[in-house]
Amino acid sequence: MAKILVVDDAAFMRMRASKLLTDNGYEVIEAENGLDAVEKYKAERPDLVIMDITMPVMDGIEAVKAIKSYDPDAIIIMCSALGQQAMVINAVRAGAKDFIVKPFQPDRILATVKKFLA
Amino acid sequence: MKVEFINPFVTAAYKVLEQEAKTSVRRGELSIEKTAVTSEDVTILIGIVGGVRGMVLYGMKEKTAKAIASAMLNQQVLLFDEMAESALAEMGNIISGLATIDLEKAGYICQLSPPTVVYGRNTMISTVKIARLIVPVHTDHGTITIHVALSETGKG
Repeated sequence: MAKILVVDDAAFMRMRASKLLTDNGYEVIEAENGLDAVEKYKAERPDLVIMDITMPVMDGIEAVKAIKSYDPDAIIIMCSALGQQAMVINAVRAGAKDFIVKPFQPDRILATVKKFLA
Repeated sequence: MKVEFINPFVTAAYKVLEQEAKTSVRRGELSIEKTAVTSEDVTILIGIVGGVRGMVLYGMKEKTAKAIASAMLNQQVLLFDEMAESALAEMGNIISGLATIDLEKAGYICQLSPPTVVYGRNTMISTVKIARLIVPVHTDHGTITIHVALSETGKG
């Protein structure tokens, strides 16, 4: 069973994403900010990360850079309300593989996860 | 302030409310006010800085807030707890985030503050010198009033 790390400071979004993924047979771990995500990534070595951008302590872009420097093969998908082009480019430059703009369509999340875990 | 500034927020509200709160949406009449907002039961505030700066407010009755949170969480919200608050704050964040995509296309790149939720009716909230564009958005759960108070910074 593939393990997915869901990173979002909003408890509501963590719950939504976790429920969707566990209902579809994935194991889910959660982190509520970028620093928490980096620590959990190292400890749990998830197969894929779904990452918000605007978060306290450490934002999602910094967290992507930190995770990619620890594990260049990390698969990280951004999921943010900030879909401005400049932000998408920043995220991809940092090492994100894809960018999903909120409100996310459950099918889009599942299709993206499947694509990268195939 | 340009009247066009409110359209990205109304368009985004339609999309987010239809999808996340599973409701039909209908907009009311646009109005402009220069005096302070008199708050409804629940108000979500989001600050905007960058090419435009100011504040966006989403005001609603407690009943509406609970109904929207219930729809988003897929479970009845009786007490407005931390999870309901998170859902509602996220709704404001996602609407505003989507709106910034259209603002960027119009030449205004901007950033958002994290959402703040104000509880309590009849609080006066002043956007100081920035006038507010107001559009009520009617849903099956009640009305959400969107107030947009933005000014151009001149840097584009």
